Amino acid sequence: MAKRNVDIAVIGAGAAGLAAAIKAKEKGIENIVILERSEELGGILPQCIHTGFGLRYFKENLTGPEYISRFIKKAQDLQIEYKLDTMVLEITPEKEITVVNSVDGLLTLRAKAIILAMGCRERTRGMLGIAGTRPAGILTAGTAQRLMDIEGYMPGAKVVVLGSGDVGLIMARRFAMEGAKVEAVVEILPYPSGLDRNVVQCLEDFNIPLLLQHTVTSIHGSDRIEAVTVAKVDASGKPVQNTERIIECETLILSVGLIPENELSQTADIALDSATGGPIVNEYMETSVQGIFACGNVVHVYDLVDHVTQAGELAGESAAKYVLNQLPPLASKITLKAGDNVKSVVPQIIGGKEPVTLYLRVKKPMRDVEVTIGNLTIPKRMVKPPEMVVVDLTRQALEKLEKRDELKVSIGKRARK
Amino acid sequence: MKKREVRVITCIICPIGCKAKVTIENGKISKIEDVECPRGEEYVTREIEAPMRDFFTTVRIKGASIPVLPVRSTQPIPKDKIMDCVLELANIVVDAPVGAGDVIVKNPLGLGVDIVATRDIDRVKER
Repeated sequence: MAKRNVDIAVIGAGAAGLAAAIKAKEKGIENIVILERSEELGGILPQCIHTGFGLRYFKENLTGPEYISRFIKKAQDLQIEYKLDTMVLEITPEKEITVVNSVDGLLTLRAKAIILAMGCRERTRGMLGIAGTRPAGILTAGTAQRLMDIEGYMPGAKVVVLGSGDVGLIMARRFAMEGAKVEAVVEILPYPSGLDRNVVQCLEDFNIPLLLQHTVTSIHGSDRIEAVTVAKVDASGKPVQNTERIIECETLILSVGLIPENELSQTADIALDSATGGPIVNEYMETSVQGIFACGNVVHVYDLVDHVTQAGELAGESAAKYVLNQLPPLASKITLKAGDNVKSVVPQIIGGKEPVTLYLRVKKPMRDVEVTIGNLTIPKRMVKPPEMVVVDLTRQALEKLEKRDELKVSIGKRARK
Repeated sequence: MKKREVRVITCIICPIGCKAKVTIENGKISKIEDVECPRGEEYVTREIEAPMRDFFTTVRIKGASIPVLPVRSTQPIPKDKIMDCVLELANIVVDAPVGAGDVIVKNPLGLGVDIVATRDIDRVKER
């Protein structure tokens, strides 16, 4: 088997991987290779033809293809090497990467640093356990998006969407625009899983009903899906008897959550966080294995690509410093634990000295709250599950932070002053 | 006869997402309730008087490795023109190669915007 040494190997050429590779190159690393299993660079963004990307990073309202093409062009201008149609089979803790493609055959890369940027996958029907038959016509929202907006197929003319995640809402609108009848978007929770903007512009604009506290309890049809049974659910999410009704459809779109894709992280014995499904990272985006960094949706699922890009740049810079022996050890090792109304925190480990941005997911919507980190409190007007809560910890704030091995991050009602 | 209507508009300016109650009398806004800030009032007024939306879809492309080309409008268009604009573009077929920013349809329906490509697509040799 051919062997080759590289300074940095980046796994995945989506928003996170490209940003990481570009930053590492800009920081002086020459020998970088990006490994991408798809036939083109860009990850998921080429199929996200809607606008709303780049509002923070570029202060411009771009479509997915426009946003990512800026990074693709930059990577190409910087002459960063990439391999397409290339599958990574294994990563070892010693940073040996086994790669296969039709040009190199089987290849081993020995990297000084690795950046994991594999993104996430959609949850499927099998993970939901919906009763009924197994007909054709049941697709995840992302698959429908790829079929419609890259491959030019129309997956159905009468559609039910299960789950109100952003991709599901966006696909409800795409189906409506392409002439399909979208019968309903069915959401088990009492509030939508996607952003308000998408509820308004994807559902209300096209008169698509949003059935909150409802779910699909059964799927009907033999060759092709013919209908679904929809029922109300109680406060615990269980279907309520005698509320069932049948909605005819020929396509069921699933938008029921995304999971960081970490099979490779596991082959490298990287510690994962059960709350995020991704690697535990410190404020450099370094995983539990020295010299292996991670960024983007493989760490935890973001709602804005702008934040993914920033995380990628941070990982790229850290990996470059690591290779150059310039990555300083953390001042102390403070592990952040999710407390009240916090589902997850990234990074999970901070040094407590240098400025750091924390990304939190909350469990339920809450108004006029404060984020508590040890003895620090930061006010926020509103927190909602679909929107990542971003907390910037400045150097000044960190000077006051009590330095313990473990600190709880909680969100609660703001104390009246 | 006086025509009175109350509409609920979800403000999307900030994460609070106020549900504004808007009273419309004889086609004019007479009252906006349950909005917490002036930016919200401005948004809600615009949503009632002249709602605008970003417009994006795909058109067919020939001679490329994929059959559809993503496109957008250069500026937002009136909300009630979205479906008209979709239909206007339904039969458009372009030839590869295309570059991002290339004008695909100039000023459709006289809306004062152009429809432009949002990605580069190379020409591939016939197989």
